[in-house]
Amino acid sequence: MRDLSQLYYFEKLLEEADNDLVREGAAQGLHAVGSVCSLIPEPLLNLPGCFSVRLRAPRTGSIDIGTYYMSSLLCECCRAVLERAVEGGYQFLDCIIAPDACSQMNRCVENIEHLNCIEKEGFFVSYCDAPMKSDDAALRHYVRQMRTHVLAPLQEKFGVDISDESLRRAVEQHNQICSLLQEMSAYRREENPRITGYEFAVLCTASYCCPKALLIDRLASTAEELRTREPDAGPAFRVKVVVAGSEIDDPGLIRLMEEAGARVVADRFCFGSLPERLPIALNDAEDVLTQVCRHYLQMGKCPRYMNAEKVAERQDYVHQLVQEYHADGVIYQQMKFCDYWGYERAYASKNMRERFGVPTLSIDRPYVTGNSGQLRTRFQAFVESLEIKKL
Amino acid sequence: MGKQMGSEKLGLFYTGRKAKKRREWRGVRDTFYDYLQWLRIWGVLIGFAAKPNNVKAFFRYRWMVNYLVVPDFFDRHTEGMRGTQLRITHTALSIVVIDMCKAMTRMFRADPNCGNDGKLRKKMVLFDENMMSEIMNGFPNLIWTSVEVPAVYTCAMMVQDGVVHYTDAAQTYGVPSDVCPMPLAELGVALEDDYPRIGACAVHCNTTCDGSLMGNSIEGQYFGIPTFELAVPIRHTYESVEPYAVEEIQNCIAFIEKHTGETFDWNAFFRSMELFNAETQNMLDWFEISRTKYPQMIGTNLALYRYCVYQATGGRYEVFRKVEQKLNRYVQWGYEQKELVCREIRHRAITWGVQSAYYTAFTVWLQNCWGVAALVDMLSLCSTRMVDTQDREQALKDLAYLYGKMIMRSRSNGGYEVGVEDLWRFCESFDVDVVIMYCHMGCKAMSGYHGLFEEEARKRGIHLIWVNHNLMKPEDGSRKDMRMEVNRYMRTVFREEPLDPSLEDFDDDRNW
Repeated sequence: MRDLSQLYYFEKLLEEADNDLVREGAAQGLHAVGSVCSLIPEPLLNLPGCFSVRLRAPRTGSIDIGTYYMSSLLCECCRAVLERAVEGGYQFLDCIIAPDACSQMNRCVENIEHLNCIEKEGFFVSYCDAPMKSDDAALRHYVRQMRTHVLAPLQEKFGVDISDESLRRAVEQHNQICSLLQEMSAYRREENPRITGYEFAVLCTASYCCPKALLIDRLASTAEELRTREPDAGPAFRVKVVVAGSEIDDPGLIRLMEEAGARVVADRFCFGSLPERLPIALNDAEDVLTQVCRHYLQMGKCPRYMNAEKVAERQDYVHQLVQEYHADGVIYQQMKFCDYWGYERAYASKNMRERFGVPTLSIDRPYVTGNSGQLRTRFQAFVESLEIKKL
Repeated sequence: MGKQMGSEKLGLFYTGRKAKKRREWRGVRDTFYDYLQWLRIWGVLIGFAAKPNNVKAFFRYRWMVNYLVVPDFFDRHTEGMRGTQLRITHTALSIVVIDMCKAMTRMFRADPNCGNDGKLRKKMVLFDENMMSEIMNGFPNLIWTSVEVPAVYTCAMMVQDGVVHYTDAAQTYGVPSDVCPMPLAELGVALEDDYPRIGACAVHCNTTCDGSLMGNSIEGQYFGIPTFELAVPIRHTYESVEPYAVEEIQNCIAFIEKHTGETFDWNAFFRSMELFNAETQNMLDWFEISRTKYPQMIGTNLALYRYCVYQATGGRYEVFRKVEQKLNRYVQWGYEQKELVCREIRHRAITWGVQSAYYTAFTVWLQNCWGVAALVDMLSLCSTRMVDTQDREQALKDLAYLYGKMIMRSRSNGGYEVGVEDLWRFCESFDVDVVIMYCHMGCKAMSGYHGLFEEEARKRGIHLIWVNHNLMKPEDGSRKDMRMEVNRYMRTVFREEPLDPSLEDFDDDRNW
């Protein structure tokens, strides 16, 4: 296939947390809001006057300082983010707004705050309590928390307009990004997809880490390019897989899978597009904040949701993706030391095999995967096992 | 060998095998008292084992074998003690054992594998291990029960490797080994089909940690009965979470009413909460004495007793009122007589983090070997707010507040203020110079503060002694390893000699 003309540009954006578009946004006087979890609805962090940046630690080397502060027993992603903060990699942030969702990421943010890693004047951190169920009581709680610990501080500190009209504009912008990504994602359903999993992961990850307003044109032109892109005559892959699990903020891991012959056709992980990049439908009958929160509550597939319906829904959803995207198997992956995904991976991968009959690879992995030989071997073996089933 | 504390070389009792060389001689009076108590515990156990349902349970459930060593559990926790301390320990721990025996007897009577009493089974509401039972105070005709407590939690206290089989089972299933061993073992018991299947319905909670929540989710499928997931706000210190916390408690009550046909009885609830408040007040009084030079109700006595009344019994049983009156008399007497908990108190300490279940007698060793009195532990420092016993609306708010501050989650959830800052406040309040920092390998919530603890302690001139363990997996950090970390600190930083040199290095790897 012909290379996507903008791919290199997007790849460069992912090499730094403080990338070109983030700097451009800051230069325009926008406030950079650090985010660490999908449980804070993105449109709330992208109200006019600010933009969200999901924290990553690209090109991580040593995480010794992060390990000193958080011990070697915590998730490497959290340690790497803290390390990057200590190194001064997030000095561009005006605030961090974090849910007390996963305790490890919460500790990471608390360390950033108490070690005064970010010296920008007026920098603050706001924590909120995110619901763990998806019923009406949880929705009311969610709305209250978002109003008190997200919107109120943004208005108070930065003078951000938090009116319904302003929220609608943020949702509209969010939906533009989502629609573009969904359009590109749909190509992955093709028998011979015209976009690779790696390419899509680069585009999707960038959508979490850059000011959305500055990204839309580039994404639109890539979507335009894809409309007429011709895939190679013969498939350049051996099997198709769905990837599910904890966060993957480095598309390099997807590339590693694809180099082993597994085309990633669906991404059900943090920083992925399913279901996080589904547009938010708004009506005129209800206040916008409630509608946004309901969308996130109903769509959320984080293993943190503890009610039995959600537990079953998560697995059904992955199975549904396998069918919709014509995948041959599922790769359940988790960041080592992640409690949520440690259990979910074991339970879901077992059910995926036994209940749905879908071949499943279950792995844990470090934050920095690079060209991990061990992982490559696991992926290759899985691809071969799927190929054998096709004979 | 005599009635004075420290007259026995306690380390010489350890032979490297399961049992010790001999029992301790504590002088005529104390030895006689200890012996009578020892007989009493045997009496309780024999009474327990004489019931046919319980005998069946011994053959049906692998974990039951751990309870054969209850007398040794008492010996471990009374090591080196004399006078008032000895009496406090026997009084506090024996009521816990008696309460457990009663609960297990009821459990096995209802269990389809043993007594198969269907009527009783329908009166039981199953709570997960980490969840406090106070909601059940409003259902006097129902029985609160937790199958995980006897199957996992107390098992690991009786026998150090008592639940390793179950952690292995969960790991074989595919759960990684780096998670907390407690929910891991609980899941393992479910996977091995080793829980009594009882209860009209179940209530699971999002306490105490991410792993515990996830373990409960999977276990919920195992029991196959209607289950309510009680989502207690994580940021429990925020005022903004109160409406939701109250609503969840109300939803939980409605769920229990729906599945049992019972109605919440406010009068019964208020009666029980009056006792619960009295228990809280007693604890506060014990804390006051612990702030003096002559602390009495400390260490494991405080911890294990408090876990029982705060989480499990929660004001429902009048017998605890009598026990507390007795404990109060002992504590007051010991204080007035200026009795020390060990031969010499060199350091006043707080234990922070999660204590090891396989070495609950660690604080007893601290006293005997190095003269470190562990005045209070993190898990006991939960809510001290009295629950309103007149106004229903306020009582619900108090109950919601209480559930936010269940044991462990009151510190592991809620953020830096309750996890770190409160420690320094307690250090000042109890006038301590040492903090025993339990580093529980599977507990991510507390490990995430590691560096901040170090830096803040240095600023305040408080000695932090890190003690690594893995809660229920002694193979990851043995009892001896735990002691070695204290020994090293005492020798190299404090440059002290042990009170009892025989306790500095001994082999108890194979002990129960």
